[in-house]
Amino acid sequence: MNNSLIVVLIASGVTYGTPILFGALGELLAERSGVLNLGVEGMMLVGAAMGFWAEQRIHIGSGALSLILGLAVAAFSGTVMAAIHAFLVVSLRASQIVSGLALTIFAGGLGLSSYLGTDLNIAGVPATHTFHAFFPNTMQNWPIVGPIVFGQNPLVYFSWLCVIAVAYYLARTRPGLNVRAVGEAPGAADAMGISVAKYRYIHTLVGGAFAGIAGATFALAITPTWNSGDSLVQGAGWIAIALVIFSFWRAELCLVGAYLFGAAQALQPELQARNISLGPTDLWANSLPYAATVIVLAAVSWRGASRRLGAPAALGVAYVREDA
Amino acid sequence: MRFTVERRLDLPRWRLVAVPIVSIALGLVLAGLVLLVTGHNPLSSYRQLFDAAFVSTGSLDQTLISATPLAFTGLAAAAAFRMRVFNIGAEGQLYIGSITGAFFGLYFGGRGAASPWVIALMVLGGMAGGAAWASIAGALRAFFGTSEILTSLMLNYIAGYLLTYLVFDSESYWRQTKGFNATVFPTGKQLPHNAVWPAWTLHTQGGIGVPLGAFLAVAAAIFLWVLYRRTRFGFEVQVLGDSEGAARYAGVRTRRKVLSVMAISGAIAGLGGVSQVGDFGHSVDGDPNGLQRLGYGYSGIVVAALGRYNPFAVLLVAFLLGGLENAGNSLQGANFPSGLVGVIEGIILFTTLGGELLIRHRVRLLRTPKTAAEAMP
Amino acid sequence: MRNRKLALGAVVAALAAAAAVALALGTATGSAKTTGAYKVAWILVGPHNDGGWSQAHVDGMNYVKSHLGSKVQVTYKENIAVGAQFSQTVASLSAQGYKLIFATSYGYITPQIAAKYPNVLFEQATGTYTAKNVAEYFGSAEDTIYLSGMAAGAAAKCNTIGFVVAYPIPEVIRHTNAFALGAQATHPGVKVKIVWTNSWFDPAKERKAAQSLVSAGACVLGQNVDSPATGEYAQSKHIPWVGYDSDSSSFAPKSWLTASVYNWGPYYLKRVEAAMNGTWKPGFYYGSINDGFTKLAPYGPGVSAATKKLIATKEKAIENGSFYEFSGPLYDQSGKLRVPKGQKMQVLKGGTNSLYGMNWLVKGVIGSPKG
Repeated sequence: MNNSLIVVLIASGVTYGTPILFGALGELLAERSGVLNLGVEGMMLVGAAMGFWAEQRIHIGSGALSLILGLAVAAFSGTVMAAIHAFLVVSLRASQIVSGLALTIFAGGLGLSSYLGTDLNIAGVPATHTFHAFFPNTMQNWPIVGPIVFGQNPLVYFSWLCVIAVAYYLARTRPGLNVRAVGEAPGAADAMGISVAKYRYIHTLVGGAFAGIAGATFALAITPTWNSGDSLVQGAGWIAIALVIFSFWRAELCLVGAYLFGAAQALQPELQARNISLGPTDLWANSLPYAATVIVLAAVSWRGASRRLGAPAALGVAYVREDA
Repeated sequence: MRFTVERRLDLPRWRLVAVPIVSIALGLVLAGLVLLVTGHNPLSSYRQLFDAAFVSTGSLDQTLISATPLAFTGLAAAAAFRMRVFNIGAEGQLYIGSITGAFFGLYFGGRGAASPWVIALMVLGGMAGGAAWASIAGALRAFFGTSEILTSLMLNYIAGYLLTYLVFDSESYWRQTKGFNATVFPTGKQLPHNAVWPAWTLHTQGGIGVPLGAFLAVAAAIFLWVLYRRTRFGFEVQVLGDSEGAARYAGVRTRRKVLSVMAISGAIAGLGGVSQVGDFGHSVDGDPNGLQRLGYGYSGIVVAALGRYNPFAVLLVAFLLGGLENAGNSLQGANFPSGLVGVIEGIILFTTLGGELLIRHRVRLLRTPKTAAEAMP
Repeated sequence: MRNRKLALGAVVAALAAAAAVALALGTATGSAKTTGAYKVAWILVGPHNDGGWSQAHVDGMNYVKSHLGSKVQVTYKENIAVGAQFSQTVASLSAQGYKLIFATSYGYITPQIAAKYPNVLFEQATGTYTAKNVAEYFGSAEDTIYLSGMAAGAAAKCNTIGFVVAYPIPEVIRHTNAFALGAQATHPGVKVKIVWTNSWFDPAKERKAAQSLVSAGACVLGQNVDSPATGEYAQSKHIPWVGYDSDSSSFAPKSWLTASVYNWGPYYLKRVEAAMNGTWKPGFYYGSINDGFTKLAPYGPGVSAATKKLIATKEKAIENGSFYEFSGPLYDQSGKLRVPKGQKMQVLKGGTNSLYGMNWLVKGVIGSPKG
């Protein structure tokens, strides 16, 4: 039963969806404040390299501590990368699109992440410790919930906490409501005494931290290794950006979408291993998340529906106070 | 420290010159710091880069190979961004252009048509393919108001998987299926001789081959300049770019404009794709480790931004950035890590982007109330 | 309008200024020093430290350097894409005086490139194109892959072995067949299930493939791809693993059985020396166990003494020519006789019954040879 296609796909969806989920939660916070950051892929790659380096090279007693340190360093590196974007687009009002792309070129597989990883000499070595499933084997073998719930690495459970935290924050807390105001109507928010710049900075930076953690999820849990180029992350950053839209800028829907996208990625090998042929699987299964996003995007934007579904009205627009 | 930004009413000439120079210089200094911190001598690194890009034997020949596609994707981005249509799908439009353009080359070339006709058809085919692919995002924006930033980006990935599928995963028309070599590894079908684009050789620096694509890129730049500066269409597009409300008020048909701008942008990117086939590869490059790893479409946006969306400046920037990429490629090795070029490119882009603000705005430092209070006796 | 023009002028001026500064620096410090050493370059499809294919070539390069010392100058270029980027790399290497270039992946060298640089000697791994300045080289990794398959078969407690494979091309198909035949030698009737990744190096995809094979019933994993992701997954599932093309035991020490690895150094040394003293000739080199081109990596804890003995005996038989895995009778997946008794497959001759043309999987392999 636990090897049936549906259970395996859901379990894989959860595993491979988790880094996308982290990236999407971060992007969601940034976008809610009105900042589009196309640099997620680059921030993930730098997070992966630095997180792996910290775990591999800094010895601080126990494995759990060294993993947490790796995660913290990854989050910090992502934050530093996001700070460049925030400074350019919030303070200097540069084009969010160009700045985000510049960040991906700067930090990405042919940029800083490769440079750092090569310089720190972390290629082609195993991680000292990895995040792996820790529930007893008997629990991991329970029908259905075994592989899906108890066979996951700890970062999966951490991502659930993050989803709850982000959803609660945006819906129920004063700063959460403020950030939505900043993303919807910065002028009005400003008039209410909310600092637009401060909110945009903080949420872009936290977004970077999430992207860094997403990178570390690859480097310390899924494929615990590092190599130059972008083979480690393989476009997950761009899928994360798509996912934010796919889930109408809502954290709980991000979770569902991330698992769907994760499962789509696992579909092709699973079908092959079971000798099921459904046409050019590589082509359509790989394209699926992107095509689905285009379709959802088109469907919800029809007659301005995207506004009602949560697209921040001021997304991508620099805020200029019209007084002086 | 707090500061405020105010729009300038005056626009002194010197500022327009000084700000970009200072920005680029600052970029070079910052990148130099990165080099210094990681144990490289920045001055000798820059000298090596410049030599390898433009000075050493054969370097210009190779620089043009990188610069040509960057010119196309840069122009594609400039054509769209200028009117605030954010087509970041040049990457995918380039792939599709290489597929459709190659089809015309293989089909009519294979039938023995005269070379100029085959090449003309390839050019048109590539442009049509790129334009059609861009029009998906264009139509969604025009009719549904869907953000073209995200749809055009998503379509890049789909185009990439399609390209790989045609050569690696199927026995399509574009794949070499005959002969022993075809069984050893999947490759694209070679263009017949009459479909291979000509190149003109300059007899200096050991021979510089100037590909047909380079001339087409210049032609595309002239076309864009004339279109945006000398036609009613161009004027309306500029009005639309400045303010959609004003354009509507003036009776500009925004849907049509968005659609046409997207199609023009896609056509130029598609032309870049078919130039890859006709000028350089002579077959469709479906290898995920080939064309798709070079990211010309994304770098093109950087080129366009550095060239401030001016077609001729874009050509110049494409040439310089092409030199940088070529140099990075030929210098990389044990004492020149391969990530360096991306770092330098990124930093210069950051500083130029940041500097942009200072051309039209004044930055004033604000004293916080507290320090102001302290300052008072 | 006026502002735009000015701004354009500014950008041009800025770039020109930057260029002038760089030029001044360039002329000030002079050109690179030249030495009398013979220059040899390696062009790699992946990162030089990938822990697999490309790294093995860099090891070969270092072997050459350690033997010839200051008589040679060696370098590598990593992450070079097939196509225009390759030709740019060759151009700059040639301009810097490199005389011999090892292109370590198929698809790099085209007739146009060979003709454009008549004074450069090219060697290409895994291909078939030869010209007056182009040689090809590779070797019978299938022999050692067969031996590694024996280790996998002996370790299998169930009837299915999973094998993660790259592209549906003859090279990978013959390696898969050799692996399956080896596994069947120690575990009669064992099935080898394959999943294609369509990439030489893609850790995430390889892990997914490994996972899908285990969920489809595999209790041992093997691979013909470059990253250690399959091994890491195997270890997390507590099942044995056979690697490929490098000793990756440190990634999954508990699961590690062995792997077929390449040793390019001796061939490289021979060819560099030939090029230096002018005796280099184009050709097609196909290395073997006998000349040290391919061998087995050290065994892991899961290989029993009895299995080691079996493998050693078979290795001797391959060395002295009394055994060859691709000699008939060989049956394909449908049970059809492909190679009759007494016939041996050759490297290039024989169409689909040659090592370089094989497009069918042997009996006992589950999966499609078309990907």
